Amino acid sequence: MKDRAIITVPSHPKYLSLVRDVTARMGDLFGMTESETEDVKLAVDEACSNVIKHAYRGDIGKKIVVKIRLAKKRFEVTIEDNGLKADEESIKGRNLEDVRPGGLGTHLIKKAFQVYAFDLRKKKGNRLKLIKYRSENGDKGINS
Amino acid sequence: METKVSTHRGVNVLSISGEIDMYSSPQLRDELMGLIHRKVPVLFVDFANVSYIDSSGIATFVEGLKGIISYGGTLKFIGISKKIMEIFTFTKLGKVFKIYESFDDALHSA
Repeated sequence: MKDRAIITVPSHPKYLSLVRDVTARMGDLFGMTESETEDVKLAVDEACSNVIKHAYRGDIGKKIVVKIRLAKKRFEVTIEDNGLKADEESIKGRNLEDVRPGGLGTHLIKKAFQVYAFDLRKKKGNRLKLIKYRSENGDKGINS
Repeated sequence: METKVSTHRGVNVLSISGEIDMYSSPQLRDELMGLIHRKVPVLFVDFANVSYIDSSGIATFVEGLKGIISYGGTLKFIGISKKIMEIFTFTKLGKVFKIYESFDDALHSA
């Protein structure tokens, strides 16, 4: 049995707390520090929020699949939807010096994960891959 | 998330508890912008019982700040936890918002 969790939730914002809880628990199992766990929880929340806002344009009746895999040296998250293709230009985030509402989500995702990449092989919808590599100081968990 | 509006020593205080995310931020926005539309001169937001905030919550406060500044009002944050302060700092909003440790500090500041 591989160390992984897969959850499928409706594209309704009320399920984001469930995604956060699972992500945080998996972060604990990976052995992340509290700060790292907070960062990945926020990042996965932001990525799922982007799916609701951009891929599904606020349609709450669709599906989001979140897969979290704990490997020896990395914490991998894959987020899949069947919505509109991501326009990376529109979700790349604003300049942080330009203070205005919005445009922070992608910055928060990239703060937590070293890899942020859309799998272009997926024909319909999006598959976002996020990878956080095990750090020197934290991450003394399940596979170390 | 729950919100409560009160008046303490003559200041309007919006106290928030729970998690601020894409689900709850519309409710927060209604409460915050309602106060701003009433042109309250000074508004304190008490974060002492906020356990989580995402970018939609931050966006709500940026919108609120712009609204309150537009008529010369003042928005001050109190009771922010270390982990939420880290998010404000990372997003470079720690210096945009007026942030104080306590109600008294905020009350006695300029």
